[in-house]
Amino acid sequence: MKKMLTLEVNGDVHELAVELDATLLRVLRDQIGLNGPKKGCDSGGCGCCTVHVDGKAVYSCVCYAHSFDGVKVTTAEGLSSGEELHPIQAAFVDAGAVQCGYCTCGMMMAAKQLLDECPRPDEEQIRHGISGNLCRCTGYAKIVDAVKLASERS
Amino acid sequence: MALYKLKEFHAPKNMQEAINILGKSQEAEILVLAGGTFLHGLEARGLLSDVEELVDIRKAGLDAIRDDDRGLLIGATVTFSQIQTLPSVQRTPWLAGLSDALAYPPVQIRNTATIGGCVSASCPFFDVPTALLALGATVMVKGGEAGERQLALPDFLAGLFVNSLEPGELVTAVAIPKCPGNGASAFIKLEGNANDLAIVNAAAYLSVDSQKTCTEAYVALGGGVAETAVLSDAARQILIGSKLDAATLQTASEAVTADISPMSDHRASAEYRGAVAKVIVRRTLERAIARLA
Ligand SMILES: Cc1cc2nc3c(=O)[nH]c(=O)nc-3n(C[C@H](O)[C@H](O)[C@H](O)COP(=O)(O)OP(=O)(O)OC[C@H]3O[C@@H](n4cnc5c(N)ncnc54)[C@H](O)[C@@H]3O)c2cc1C
Ligand code: FES
Ligand code: FES
Repeated sequence: MKKMLTLEVNGDVHELAVELDATLLRVLRDQIGLNGPKKGCDSGGCGCCTVHVDGKAVYSCVCYAHSFDGVKVTTAEGLSSGEELHPIQAAFVDAGAVQCGYCTCGMMMAAKQLLDECPRPDEEQIRHGISGNLCRCTGYAKIVDAVKLASERS
Repeated sequence: MALYKLKEFHAPKNMQEAINILGKSQEAEILVLAGGTFLHGLEARGLLSDVEELVDIRKAGLDAIRDDDRGLLIGATVTFSQIQTLPSVQRTPWLAGLSDALAYPPVQIRNTATIGGCVSASCPFFDVPTALLALGATVMVKGGEAGERQLALPDFLAGLFVNSLEPGELVTAVAIPKCPGNGASAFIKLEGNANDLAIVNAAAYLSVDSQKTCTEAYVALGGGVAETAVLSDAARQILIGSKLDAATLQTASEAVTADISPMSDHRASAEYRGAVAKVIVRRTLERAIARLA
């Protein structure tokens, strides 16, 4: 069964007919067509679906979309302004923090939450800040470097 | 998509409306939804396939926080992140154990999980309920036939994934009484990795008089040491009246064995849980003592 839902995603307002039990992740990917947020574990265990809801990082796979009628959602696609990369995106590129890339969008959204709250984190704070996000490729060292770089540049 | 029978997604605008919906729908399979972080896990395991109605209570005005000389009264839908930012949770030694516990879940969970949801789940592997037990928390309930009740947390946690709510009832808040005098608390989780539930966790609350004699002590354990998180009365009896010296802490930590019956699962065996529980309790007591004024 479907019900109407209004979501503001990356500045665009969407009015959608959404299944009652759809997760926010499903709506973002399948109905709005954003593939930044990834479906990994689909159970709150890996972080690659991380988006911001009203400025706070959440796992979009464990949230029912209808809980969020009228909220503002930001995905990794919403970080950049036009062609210009957000400092966090640029730092991930420059630090070489991406291998397969599956974790990257969620990792950047976790990094954004951390830097919003704590603009100059030390290494321990960075590792704690991204502890809800798994990366199976990089071994985390370059991701930590990227977050450090982003913090130094801003 | 695993709520095949779901026909209603309610989003009540106030508490009374939420209670009315729960009261009216006693025939239907109806579930309260808060952060959904636990509920989603149940759905993924196919355990919610009969649910017909969800009542999302996050806009029902249950998010107020009262922080005064009676203690803390935290509305059911207040998130872990919101609790972490309270000055008293950040700065007062008697609430430090709650702050310790809230730091473990990843930020995405802290931004979503609610205090009402974490107690209602009655999951023996969560951290925050263990910390709340040591702080003497009470659960405020409204709705159902009783209309209004207050339940001490140990009475509220009825069993493995079972709470003491009657049909139509809702948790509206969790109260933590203010500690009189010189008290401090602490919490430690033993975990396999940064995003897993506890193998064992422990929380302690201690208060002392001017002679540094222990006047009150609560030791709580969770993480599969029993079907719910539990208080250890044996440890409490040993600590009260003592000088909290190393030998007493050791005896009290070993005494928790009397109050737990650990389980075996993919995280750890019952034997391992029983053995490390004593160590984690001793370290937690030491951490609390270090915070006493
Ligand atoms: C990836 C992950 C990591 C986690 N890590 C940790 C951790 O490190 N430490 C830790 O302590 N916990 C951890 N958790 C567990 C988390 O704390 C709980 O899932 C959360 O507290 C549940 O709260 P919620 O608001 O999301 O509840 P929901 O999932 O919405 O609800 C939980 C249950 O309670 C019922 N309910 C909810 N609110 C009420 C109410 N007000 N009245 C009556 N019934 C109600 C619901 O019907 C449901 O049965 C983790 C969870 C996940 C998914
Ligand atoms: S897909 Fe959401 S946390 Fe893994
Ligand atoms: S780059 Fe492959 S999972 Fe992180």
